[in-house]
Amino acid sequence: MAEIAESPSTTEHPLGTVGASRSKASSSALRESDVDPKTMRTTTPGLKRLFLTFSVLLSFLLGFPFLWKTVEIYRSPLPFGDMDALSKQIESSPLQFPCHFQSVFLNFDSRSSGGILDPRELRSSILSEMTKLTSQTLERQCGSCGENFTLSVVVDSDGNGLTPNCSYKCGALGALNLGDGEAVDEALRSALDESCSDYGGKLYTVVVVNGDGAGEGPKALVGKHRHGWISGRELDAEAMIGRMAEMFVKIFMNGGREDGAIHGEFMPVGADGRVVLSFSLLNANPDDWFYDWDFQKLDDTLLNPVIEALKPIANISVESQVLYHTPKSSFSYWDESLGSYIFSTKDLPFFVNSNEWHLDTSVAAGGRTKILQFVVYVPSANECPLSLQLPSGEISKTNGFISPMWGGVMVWNPQSCIKYSGSGPPARLLMHPDDLHRIFEVLMGQLRQLFGLKSDSIYVGAAGAYKLLPSEKGFTEWELDVLSRQHTCFNLHSSGTTLGSLSRLVQSLPRMIIKDEIGKQVKFSLEAAQLAQTNASVGLYEASAASSRQARSLAEDAFFHPSIMSVSYFSFEHCFAVYSPFFLPVSLHVLLAALREWRRYKQEKAKYVRWKVKQVKAA
Amino acid sequence: MTIQIRKGKRATEPQCLGSQRSLNSEDLLFPNQTGDSKAAVYFQLSNGRFRPPPAHRLIAHHIVDTIAPIFFRVSRTMWLPLRLTLLLLFLLLSPRALLRSGSAAVVSGEEEEFHEELLLKPLPDRKVLAHFHFHSIAPPSKSNGRHHHLFPKAISQLVQKFRVKEMELSFTQGRWNYERWGGFDPISSNNAKPPGVELWAVFDVPEDQVDAYWKNLTNSLSGLFCASINFLESSTMYSAPKWSFRITPGRLRYGTLPREAVCTENLTPWLKLLPCRDKAGLAALLDRPSIYKGFYHSQRLYLTSNASVPAETVSGISLEQTLTVVLQPNSPSSSSIHSGESNFQPSWSLSSIFGRKISGKCVLAQSSIVYLQLEKSIFSEQKDNMDNGPNSLASEGFAGGSGFEMSLDPDIVIEEENQSQHKGSSVLYGFWVEKYNESQPFDLGLKWKYPVFWSSRQAPLHASRFLMGSGNERGAIAILFKSANSADSSSGSRHVSDGCELQVDVFQVVPWYIKVYYHSLQIFVDDEAKPIGDFVHKIQVSPSKDKTSPGMMEMLLKLPCDVRSAALTLEFDKGFLHIDEYPPDANQGYDIPSAVISFPSFHSVMHLLSNDSIRKSPLLSRFQEKNRVQSYTEVLLVPLTTPDFSMPYNVITITCTVFALFFGSLLNVLRRRVGEEERYLKAGKKKGWLRVLLSRLLAKLRGKPMEEPDQPSSESAPLIGKKLVLKVILVAVLAVAWQFYST
Repeated sequence: MAEIAESPSTTEHPLGTVGASRSKASSSALRESDVDPKTMRTTTPGLKRLFLTFSVLLSFLLGFPFLWKTVEIYRSPLPFGDMDALSKQIESSPLQFPCHFQSVFLNFDSRSSGGILDPRELRSSILSEMTKLTSQTLERQCGSCGENFTLSVVVDSDGNGLTPNCSYKCGALGALNLGDGEAVDEALRSALDESCSDYGGKLYTVVVVNGDGAGEGPKALVGKHRHGWISGRELDAEAMIGRMAEMFVKIFMNGGREDGAIHGEFMPVGADGRVVLSFSLLNANPDDWFYDWDFQKLDDTLLNPVIEALKPIANISVESQVLYHTPKSSFSYWDESLGSYIFSTKDLPFFVNSNEWHLDTSVAAGGRTKILQFVVYVPSANECPLSLQLPSGEISKTNGFISPMWGGVMVWNPQSCIKYSGSGPPARLLMHPDDLHRIFEVLMGQLRQLFGLKSDSIYVGAAGAYKLLPSEKGFTEWELDVLSRQHTCFNLHSSGTTLGSLSRLVQSLPRMIIKDEIGKQVKFSLEAAQLAQTNASVGLYEASAASSRQARSLAEDAFFHPSIMSVSYFSFEHCFAVYSPFFLPVSLHVLLAALREWRRYKQEKAKYVRWKVKQVKAA
Repeated sequence: MTIQIRKGKRATEPQCLGSQRSLNSEDLLFPNQTGDSKAAVYFQLSNGRFRPPPAHRLIAHHIVDTIAPIFFRVSRTMWLPLRLTLLLLFLLLSPRALLRSGSAAVVSGEEEEFHEELLLKPLPDRKVLAHFHFHSIAPPSKSNGRHHHLFPKAISQLVQKFRVKEMELSFTQGRWNYERWGGFDPISSNNAKPPGVELWAVFDVPEDQVDAYWKNLTNSLSGLFCASINFLESSTMYSAPKWSFRITPGRLRYGTLPREAVCTENLTPWLKLLPCRDKAGLAALLDRPSIYKGFYHSQRLYLTSNASVPAETVSGISLEQTLTVVLQPNSPSSSSIHSGESNFQPSWSLSSIFGRKISGKCVLAQSSIVYLQLEKSIFSEQKDNMDNGPNSLASEGFAGGSGFEMSLDPDIVIEEENQSQHKGSSVLYGFWVEKYNESQPFDLGLKWKYPVFWSSRQAPLHASRFLMGSGNERGAIAILFKSANSADSSSGSRHVSDGCELQVDVFQVVPWYIKVYYHSLQIFVDDEAKPIGDFVHKIQVSPSKDKTSPGMMEMLLKLPCDVRSAALTLEFDKGFLHIDEYPPDANQGYDIPSAVISFPSFHSVMHLLSNDSIRKSPLLSRFQEKNRVQSYTEVLLVPLTTPDFSMPYNVITITCTVFALFFGSLLNVLRRRVGEEERYLKAGKKKGWLRVLLSRLLAKLRGKPMEEPDQPSSESAPLIGKKLVLKVILVAVLAVAWQFYST
């Protein structure tokens, strides 16, 4: 209504001028013939409609950010910079732990080596050997010490040498009976164990004993704890330096692994730090015979110490089952000369019969728990005895093989391969405890190999052979140190790559919903990774392993968060499709109206100006 | 180690038969079953063709499991062959035992056990029921859930992890025909299941954690059995029956998926739980095409863990796996012989039904037995057919009188002992599978000689359920009970007494989108509307909550025994679902799960003469358990209004267009110069010169050169009108054409 009432002021002009020219010709200053309604107007053009359309347009423009805000999906702010930095840092410079070594020279007096040994000289020469060895290893192993190690040298000649630090007290190793390795190990342990806690007890010692050892050459042993010793008669200290350096670098630092062994990154531990060892006894054909085992006893007596020993690395649970009618899926042939059925290493990929061997994933295990399968295969009568032939033509001693990250298979042949031929079905036979013990030894070797350690007790280096004393726990202390270093390093590596790819993924999908929980997980994962790194640099193996595990698990949690997994986030096209039916026509209206009003206003303004000019001229 | 010894003597031997009247505890004395005076033993030695003895003569065939504890004092005629058998067996036994002890120690002590059994039963409508029963037992031990020898590790871990006290899971295809296949026997009460998946579980956890455990359990089972059991996780899919479903109260959860399709992918994981899978033993019969071709197929898993043991030892678990199939034997041989006689029961053999034979038992099974169950009424009928005197039947009935012939001799004959009633009892023939091997496979065949008729025993009431009403808005559910005894006057008259009441438990779960008005419950007894209070003894209703929980109704009805029919009706409204909640095939309709009808005062028990072999057979001991007679009604299919699923975008587009139109016109109105236009119009009407101006303005606005003042005004208006009319007509014609041709 208001519009109509006010309309004359703006729209009447062409008319009004005409009307005015007729009715008020006398009163007007200009003559009517001068005012051309097409080109001139006498009043100023109105601004009302222009203002209106522009205010609508403006409000639309102003409202657009608000709309954008409401359409926007929630993305928790992720520290992309930190994530990328962590992944880059871990990629470029692997974690290095500090290692502390100590070498002790026992019974080196002036007579044997031509002068008192100078610990400083020895130290520098051992160090140079060690750096040579570390630089030799081409690929930098994850979790090794790199060049980040310290070394102290003690020369204890007849109990009155120097005592440079508190870790070794001169004379503590007075008399060693070098005959029995186990006894020496214990004696060394008691002598060295009261070491000060500077290094958290992680001090690797090599003792060189010059004395009346065995006649032929120096003998090198590595104990169950963190020490090794070299003994022999008339030892040359200089010659021992090479062996000592090798022992430090190759064994204590790198775990005595050889090339071709499983790479350290394949640590068979689940993202939640849990491992399930699933033992299965497979009877290929129970109609011939079928065996059972008393695994509970084995679990209680032999497996438990191993699980206890591995506790810092992984939380291990054990389960077992006996399966029947589980033939292997590869072929074997009879070899007369070897007197057994043979399957060769070529057949190994086909040995595991995934159709018939239902080695089920465990219900007890959580989603990201690693399951290691250990399979004991009892062949049927028509393939008994079954042996694995190595590429060299020999028969494998363990008669088994491993598959990294999956587990191990072992073939166990019954003592006599004579098929039971009596009437009625065969009875259930219980494995003899000795057999079980042997099987267990092989399986433990396989477990060690799966963890990337050596399965036999001899390490042959460049400078000589070393005997490794086996632990009844399956893993010696220094091996566990190596494993926990590797585990930490691998976990950090994994969390770094996971976070890196998460950051890339999130940045590449701008319309993906990121919940606060993910943001929190990423934050905590980064913190844990930071903590693990600082702990590692100080040398706290256990603490860094724990926090690195946490970092990995949190990173995986964030990456595999269900909200990320769902594909139901809408693309931008969807947004466009939903809003365009409204905004397209409306914006057309608003824009056109604004444009027309603006043009009209300009036109009318020009008319008015012309009239004004004319009036001025006339005046 | 148990060695089953078969001591048999042909039942037709005259001494044996002659002494049968006097055969009692005096003649045969078993120290371990002295109390059982009805136990009579037949011994069978020769491998002649076995023909069943007449019903009143035959009591039981007995198998002795172990030698040592049994002391015989038998009549002189029987002693000699028996002693020979015993000697022979000892000879056989001793080297075997020696051989084993030489190689390794023989397992002893309390061990995990496995039993396999198969029950075959011809059904009245020319079909054959095959009921596989596998039983695994894990005794209580602290290694349960970790170390297993025979028992499936996965199940044990499931029980440990989810604290399951009792659980039953069934996958069913087809519907059990209660009228023809029976509704009273243990198989129909325990193994007839609703179509799709049914799962119920009792947990050993505090009440507030039960739901969480149930959810985890459904997900685990879903993974284990390759089925969509995980849909039972949602709280709209399961309910907690209080008293009507199971007598065991407490932490019970119940859920069904009527739509679930059951096929081999569900059977394979089920078979994986058996130590021999389908590689050996009875399960080797399970030829997938033949068992899925059948009329009814139900695979079931029932487990109980005895939680009564103290907490430090892990409880033992008993796992019962059954597979019930109803198959149609097709035997052209019999039809060719008796061509034209369509009422002949078809003759069949295992190989003709399954296409396979049993080549020996699963070596891991403690027992491996095949039973053939026949209704006793066959014998009586056949007696009528023969029209022979009772005395002659004693000898003649075996020779040529029986209406059927088995291809193998049974090792044991067990008769159901039914004191109360002659009808419904049956005879079981047992076959030891361990006697057969690869070269001599077990292939039981049954050949009918005469047409026989019988009917299965029915539940007291036959329940059916149907929908009433039409349209997409409302309807009603009706449950109809019909007396099964109405046709059978003899048993119906049994209950005709004044105080007699028939108890019926009804348990029904209705999904939330079927909004049942429980107040509208009506009862019709013998087609007359009756007040509810007269018959509903106890009722418990938990109404559905939208998108939270289903509606559940538990009801205990007490009907008079002479009731002919009873009906319950409940009205409901159909709800609307959110667009996300529609299943992929929404137009098919929605299933209301089967209602469970049970008769608490009736128990499906097989009264078998209890002796050792029966006690050791899990199948028969299961049959002897006292279970309520239970039946499931049909699944109902309710059509709901299904929207057009492209609707959201249509709605968005239409709404947006309307908004845009409104907005545009509003804007136009706002900036329209109405006064100006009106004045033009007025001027045009009143004054000629104004009209000129108007036309000029129009021309100017159109951007055309100025025309003659009079001409455009007089011509343009009709011209525009004509054009407009033409355009409108053109559009209309196009629209009509489009409409015509597009449809």
